Amino acid sequence: MIGLNHYLILSGILFAIGLIGVLRRRNLLMLFFSTEIMLNAANVAFAAISSFYHDLTGQMFAFFIVAIAASEVAIGLGLLILVYKKENTLDLDDLASMKG
Amino acid sequence: MESLVYIALFAPLLSSLFAGSFAMTPKKQFVGVVSSFLLFISFAASAILGYHLLVTNEPIHVKLMDWIAAGDLNISFGFIVDHVSVTMMFVVTLISTVVHVYSIGYMDHDKSFNRFFSYLSAFVFSMLILVMSDNFAGLFIGWEGVGVCSWLLIGFWYHKADVTRDINPSISPSWAANEAFIMNRIADLGMLVGLFIIYWNVGSLQYDVVFSAIPNMTQAVLTTAAMALFIGAMGKSAQFPLHTWLTDAMEGPTPVSALIHAATMVTAGVFLVIRANPIFALTPEVSYFIAALGTFVAFFAASMALVNRDLKRIIAFSTLSQLGYMFAAAGLGAYWIALFHLGAHAFFKALLFLGAGNVMHAMHDELDIFKMGGLKKAMRGTYLYMGLASLALAGIPPLAGFFSKDAIIETAFNEGSLILWATLVITAGMTAFYSFRQVFLTFHGDERYHEFGIHPHEMYKYVLVAMSPLAILAVIAGFFKDGFNDFIINLLPNYQMSEHTHHLALYLGLIVLAVAVSGILLAYIKYNKRLVRSEKTENGFIYKLLANQYYIPVLYEAVISKPYAELSKLMWKNVDMKIVDATVDAIAKFLYRSGDKSRGMQSGNLSNYLNWMAIGAIALLLVSILSLIAA
Amino acid sequence: MSNILTILVFFPALAGLLGFVIDKNSARVYGVAIAAVEFILSLFLWMNFDSLNPTFQFIEHFPIVKDFGISYYLGVDGISLFLVIMTTFMTLIGMMSMTIKEDLKNMVITLLFLEMTMVGVFLALDAIMFYFFWELSLVPMLYIIGAWGGPLRVYASIKFFLYTFVGSLIMLVGMLFVAYSFYSAAGVWSFAITDWYALGFDMKYQFWLFLAFFVGFAIKVPMFPFHTWLPYAHGQAPTIGSVILAAVLLKMGTYGFVRFSLPMFPDASIMMIAPIAILSIIMIVYTAMVAYAQEDMKQVIAYSSVSHMGIVMLGIFAMNSEGISGSVFQMLSHGIVSGALFMLVGVIYDRTHTKYMSEFGGLASIMPKYALIFGIMLMASVGLPLTIGFVGEFLVLIGFYKISPILTVLAGTSIIVGAVYMLSLFKRSFFGAITNEANRKLKDLNANELVSFIPLVAIVIWLGIYPKPVLSIIDNSVKTTLSIMEQKAITPEAKEIIIAKNSKEEK
Repeated sequence: MIGLNHYLILSGILFAIGLIGVLRRRNLLMLFFSTEIMLNAANVAFAAISSFYHDLTGQMFAFFIVAIAASEVAIGLGLLILVYKKENTLDLDDLASMKG
Repeated sequence: MESLVYIALFAPLLSSLFAGSFAMTPKKQFVGVVSSFLLFISFAASAILGYHLLVTNEPIHVKLMDWIAAGDLNISFGFIVDHVSVTMMFVVTLISTVVHVYSIGYMDHDKSFNRFFSYLSAFVFSMLILVMSDNFAGLFIGWEGVGVCSWLLIGFWYHKADVTRDINPSISPSWAANEAFIMNRIADLGMLVGLFIIYWNVGSLQYDVVFSAIPNMTQAVLTTAAMALFIGAMGKSAQFPLHTWLTDAMEGPTPVSALIHAATMVTAGVFLVIRANPIFALTPEVSYFIAALGTFVAFFAASMALVNRDLKRIIAFSTLSQLGYMFAAAGLGAYWIALFHLGAHAFFKALLFLGAGNVMHAMHDELDIFKMGGLKKAMRGTYLYMGLASLALAGIPPLAGFFSKDAIIETAFNEGSLILWATLVITAGMTAFYSFRQVFLTFHGDERYHEFGIHPHEMYKYVLVAMSPLAILAVIAGFFKDGFNDFIINLLPNYQMSEHTHHLALYLGLIVLAVAVSGILLAYIKYNKRLVRSEKTENGFIYKLLANQYYIPVLYEAVISKPYAELSKLMWKNVDMKIVDATVDAIAKFLYRSGDKSRGMQSGNLSNYLNWMAIGAIALLLVSILSLIAA
Repeated sequence: MSNILTILVFFPALAGLLGFVIDKNSARVYGVAIAAVEFILSLFLWMNFDSLNPTFQFIEHFPIVKDFGISYYLGVDGISLFLVIMTTFMTLIGMMSMTIKEDLKNMVITLLFLEMTMVGVFLALDAIMFYFFWELSLVPMLYIIGAWGGPLRVYASIKFFLYTFVGSLIMLVGMLFVAYSFYSAAGVWSFAITDWYALGFDMKYQFWLFLAFFVGFAIKVPMFPFHTWLPYAHGQAPTIGSVILAAVLLKMGTYGFVRFSLPMFPDASIMMIAPIAILSIIMIVYTAMVAYAQEDMKQVIAYSSVSHMGIVMLGIFAMNSEGISGSVFQMLSHGIVSGALFMLVGVIYDRTHTKYMSEFGGLASIMPKYALIFGIMLMASVGLPLTIGFVGEFLVLIGFYKISPILTVLAGTSIIVGAVYMLSLFKRSFFGAITNEANRKLKDLNANELVSFIPLVAIVIWLGIYPKPVLSIIDNSVKTTLSIMEQKAITPEAKEIIIAKNSKEEK
């Protein structure tokens, strides 16, 4: 029987994958993907807990996150294309212009 | 009568301000004349006050205005003219007047003539405050005031540069002035503590209130107060171990030495003991200490005078020695005898100094008596004066010194302190010897000054005339002893010799006289004809020890002045700069460096930022978990 | 009349704003005129001051932020009255004697702003206002040192600013805590000092609050070991900066102790007598020794300031009206005398462009008037009776003697060590042969300088001979402060000390 714990473990694994991606990858596009994974890890957890408690709020929240993620992708990808056009690269090591 | 008190007090101030207003202009003869006249007015007022007191026996007490009032402390400028203060006023104003007139002649060629009179009169004003004040705080004003005037006057020729001790033992006038001031300050701290003790135990600093409250004070309080006050007296009166400044003070012009460092200021310590006699009378231990120290200083100073070659320093040592006599008398409870000797000593010692000034003037500021000799031909008047003064100092009857000093020695016998008595008798012999050694070396024998191309000449006539009151008093003052006794015991406790001493008085007197005469004879034999110097004696240990003042000035320099200067440097360069300030800077630098180092975080690389963010998030998570567990 | 305190505080600042449109060449005259008006206003305040009333007078009180109890609250009592007068007086004298040539207009404007902050500190009765003026006073001084100072000016000014700023931040925390305690006790917020006086604290709180205020005040005083910013600031500051710094800014610290620490935390103050007395004695003796070792004339006077402030601190913690009144008087006396001494050093610096004593020697015969005035100030500085310096020192020592005779004797050595460094300075610079031939051509004080110095000399002698008009007013207010302490003290020991100190008044 698949219980809540399984979902939460899945969510945790997904989140960890996303986090490691955020920390390790140097390409902005990859960072973007990793954040999406982390958001979806949260979605999984929301949906699972919502169904466990018979409370729809969590699933509603997951929809919000999906919507926000979608708009974020739209704007973020647009920005990425602009950066790529300007700098001709998406590698973070080459994009350090705000050095203190 | 009140106005006379103010005239006596403020005439010298007026004189000082008057002369001071010309201080930066070239010499003006009339400045000296006006000053002297104002001083004479002060003298006349004091004399009238003295006569008034003699007739009516009523002290005059005036209050000028309030001074300091805070908390319960209330000090006012009050002045009292009673038997003690009027005696002091008489002595001070008389000698000041003579010294002022004398200075017109002595400072004739000095370009700072006007300034000199300003300082001199300011000194007299301070001294009068000291003796006339009706409270301890007022006394302290005068006390510090005379200290400053003494500083100004010792350093009068401030333009002289410092030299080493071999050339001039006092280094320079300005050095000597600072030494005197600082040494006096050390003692003043003691005096201040005395005032504090009195204030917190009595609630007032007025003499009459304090003295009437004495029965309520415990013995311990009285003893500490007496000790503290006496420490103050030790500084002003240059008692061991605070004595070195007095001989160095001879760097000042000679009239200053006569007025301040012989007749008046240095006796302030004795005056304090006499003034506060109700306190000292009840503290026998302190009083005995005073007497013993006085006797010791009398002997100690006389021993240094035996071999000194400097005319003024010899007289300075003798002053020190005579101050010792006064303290001996005061310590033994014979306050009126101390006061009597104070007055008599003031007359003949001032005369002696002024005579020395004449010699100095004649010898073009040469002070080495080994370079003089045979001056009596050129300087008859001065010879007469100095001879008289030396006889008085040696205690030859019927001059003043005989009566006053003999009384002190008799007191020591009467108190049964035979050691003190014997020391004082021996010192009397030494006094006679060094006084006449100086007289003979200066005025008798071969005329050694020719070798140095000096042509001595006598002082101006009017100066010699001006000195005559002192000479007359040095001769006759002794005859007023009984009259003075009747006058002063209205205020001071009488001191009676016991029956036993009374019987022996004649023999005691004869012993002292014999010792003194033999001292003179010894000096006559050794120095009258010519100066015979013996290498062997002069290189002997004792001679060297005495000539170098027991090496005390060198010792003070090595043990106090130099270490203090070095410690100060160490405090500044090492402690202040390297520890205190460096700590502050180190804290600042730590903050700066930590900021500088952590600046690297701000690399501009998004990936790094994300790493830091993750670390921060984990840290926060840990903190919250830990705090949950802890709660 | 009813707004005189507001006028006193803000008149210089308004005049300073107006100063921006004044012609460059008349800036100096303008500054002197404004400072003179301000000084006359402060004298007017004294004339109308009711000397029998020991509490706050000319009070102006209306709320600014009602919910938090922050109000515009000014008032003056005997303690602050003379500090204000001294501030306006020294600003006037400083303005008159100023010899700065470049950017004179900016300097005049800065000084006028500084005057506002200084007067504000002494008149503010609301802690937030007090803090506002307290911190604001740093800015003009930072500018004065940083813009007109010597070669190390940036280091010196930043050190001065940061050091004192850190201290006052800690004090601010203390203030907020006191306000919060007041809120918890009374249910309303208030930053009014007079309200705070009514508030009692536990011993534990008192101690920490005392420390918080102590840090702020002690750095300003400056107490040992927080004093090292001072020699740098003085060493680099222009003459006018040193004069104001020594005469007024240092007094804010000691004023703070009298105004805040003593009446608000009586038990902690009494508990801290011993440590503070020991620090004060170290201050007195140690800095006097350091002063003796200096080669730079100005540094001697800078360190002597620290030494004299040690006397002031000691007097405050004497806990009796002799000591505290003496201490307040000593603040005035030190303000006048050290200000004058810094001006005197400025005079010789303007002529020779050096402050090293080894460059001088024998100045007395070249510049007799200068030597005379220097001599008078020197004697006042070493505390000669009948000069202003004696009264305060004597009262402080006599007051503290009741607390501890031995510590008083140690502190009393100030009359010896003070004489040592001062006389040595005088001897090295003024006495002896003229060692530096270039000095022979030096000019004595000119009329302009004499006009600045003569009032100072007059005050030094006047208040030395007749301090009563000032001292009695101070003493009245000090007694009130002491009675507040007595009522508030909770520990029996503290009560005993305060009462024992003042038992005679009750009899």
